[in-house]
Amino acid sequence: MIERILLLGMFLIGFWGIVSRKNLIKKIFGLNIINNSVVILFVLEGSRAGSSAPIMEQGISNIVDPVPQALMLTAIVIGVCISALALALAFRLYKATGTYNIQEIKRKVHNGF
Amino acid sequence: MVFEDIVFAPILLPLLGAALVITAKAFLQGRPMKILEYIGAFVGLGLPWLSFALTLPAVTSGRVFQGVIGNWHASVGITYQFDGLAWLVNVLTYSVCSAAWLYSLGSGPRGPAFTSVFLILTASLSATIMTSDIFNLFVCLEVVGISSYILVASTDKPGASLASFTYLMISASAMVFFLLGVYGLYRVTGSLSYQGIAQGLKALPDGGGMTAVISLALIISSTVIRVAVMPFSGWLPDAHALAPHAVSAVLSGVLIKVPLFALSRILLIMPVGAQAGQLLGWAGALTALIGVILALSQADAKRLLAYHSVSQIGYVVCAWGIALYVGITTSKGAALMTAAFLHAFYHALFKGLLFLSVGTTVDRAGERNVYRLRGAAAILRSCGERIPVTLLTYLAGALAISAVPPFNGFISKNAISYALEGTPLYYLLFAAGIGTVASFIKLSRIYWPDRSRKEIPVPAVPVPLTSKISQGGLALLCLGGGILASRIHSLVMLLLSGTRAEYLIQWYSAGALLKTGAVIALGTGVYLLTTTGIIARVLKVIREQPGDFRGLYISFSIGTALLAGWMLLHL
Repeated sequence: MIERILLLGMFLIGFWGIVSRKNLIKKIFGLNIINNSVVILFVLEGSRAGSSAPIMEQGISNIVDPVPQALMLTAIVIGVCISALALALAFRLYKATGTYNIQEIKRKVHNGF
Repeated sequence: MVFEDIVFAPILLPLLGAALVITAKAFLQGRPMKILEYIGAFVGLGLPWLSFALTLPAVTSGRVFQGVIGNWHASVGITYQFDGLAWLVNVLTYSVCSAAWLYSLGSGPRGPAFTSVFLILTASLSATIMTSDIFNLFVCLEVVGISSYILVASTDKPGASLASFTYLMISASAMVFFLLGVYGLYRVTGSLSYQGIAQGLKALPDGGGMTAVISLALIISSTVIRVAVMPFSGWLPDAHALAPHAVSAVLSGVLIKVPLFALSRILLIMPVGAQAGQLLGWAGALTALIGVILALSQADAKRLLAYHSVSQIGYVVCAWGIALYVGITTSKGAALMTAAFLHAFYHALFKGLLFLSVGTTVDRAGERNVYRLRGAAAILRSCGERIPVTLLTYLAGALAISAVPPFNGFISKNAISYALEGTPLYYLLFAAGIGTVASFIKLSRIYWPDRSRKEIPVPAVPVPLTSKISQGGLALLCLGGGILASRIHSLVMLLLSGTRAEYLIQWYSAGALLKTGAVIALGTGVYLLTTTGIIARVLKVIREQPGDFRGLYISFSIGTALLAGWMLLHL
């Protein structure tokens, strides 16, 4: 149970970061944090039964459910792509406006500099 | 290789095309690079049409291609389903994407990088509608998302980067909620395919209880954020208005509809899916009306079109949701689902056309404000358009969206009206129709002659031939959709529900024409009202409401909570 409460805390911190921080980079951090909390939740779910890693070699038995781990590999890859793209966009906005503050950027874009 | 594998052509061919285009960019230069890029685009956007032609006889006879990709065991593999719905949505996707790519050749964004991302987007849209595995749906939606964020930002305007960033943040965080939903369903049922989940939930005594319902609500609302029904639509206007014209056409035409029809596969077989459909149907009708009021208040030509996308998707979602509620096997449900798809398809055609033709116009005029731009027809003429293709195609699009016969919008809006006759939703959509006419009178004024006869301030840039071809092609499809209404309607109905239409709708009946006349007259009246002082001021206030990043999240949370509450109520 304690793991789940910690994960909920992690999720909320990330969500708070996305919603209320004004810095673009911190928003991207927030996105990463919520993504990771869900990834860990899946892996935790897979390990409810079993204890060994699902690498099928001789003598390995009592493995955890491998499906969540396989899914999460995909989800992590997607998360990396999203972060890379978001950081590239943030950098582009920084080059154009000279700031990472989303309200400043919005104001400058709206007024056409 | 067996015949069944041909259904993967719309996914694999664009990916192959994208690979060719990237190869061209990496290893070739100059003319050979261009040639290989065009070959790649032809492989990706042209050849799949062949597979649609070959599979049509099978899907019309009610055959469903389904199975597990790579012949894995059903419990671990990815299941897919290619049926009438997938065929229709693929045709929608490919017709608008082909036209938009052709348009991009003339007016940008050009180059192999753009083409390859565009092809990946096409492939992922096709995969989205074919999958019947919930985790694969997640992956497809993410690929659709990533490629569309890149395409929105594929211009050097900082506004487009900001719009793309906002769109990325809200939809990527929504996808995390989607993943949470997948977690919940996997935990309850231990399965990931739609069928497996539905059977698992049925086998449980309480139908999965709260966990299943909340998981389902999370999945629905994070998919619906792509569809941009209110209150999930805050990100759309900026992204669609600031993207390059060809991309706007695809975003508004295709991207907001494919997830909706993919979602219907889930809702049809899940418990309380019907009730979720009912709530979404109501949200859709309200979206249609509110969207059109917002559109009427806009000053920027492309933002006005973007709000119209919100409004028109409201029509589609309304018919779609009520169809799910009454069940698509009933005759009313089948009629509604057919109407929903027809409007989605026709809207893809005419909204794509409007974005392209208005885009051509505002580029030539160097002005996007609908209050300031006048005499655009003259400007286009001075740019060397002897036959006013852009003006005529714009008119075709505007008449289609205002539901004027014989254009296709008349057919699809009437199909929705027939099916909803007598419900309160009907009146909401009727009011939205009036607003549509009014706002298109407002937009059309940019073409009216300029009395002040100023010098045209911008250098005349000729309209490229490819733009004319793609605009002309879409306009012909709009007209054809109106003239061949009965045939297309019965084909769509056959593909979606497997039944032939029991009754033939008299499309061009006196009653329907009278109603259209009334809507146009009322719309003109509303337009004249909006030019009076007080209403113009109200519209200005609406227009200048600041869009807030935090507001997107608040409305997402509220919308999801409402949906979950509603579904729990009907458990």
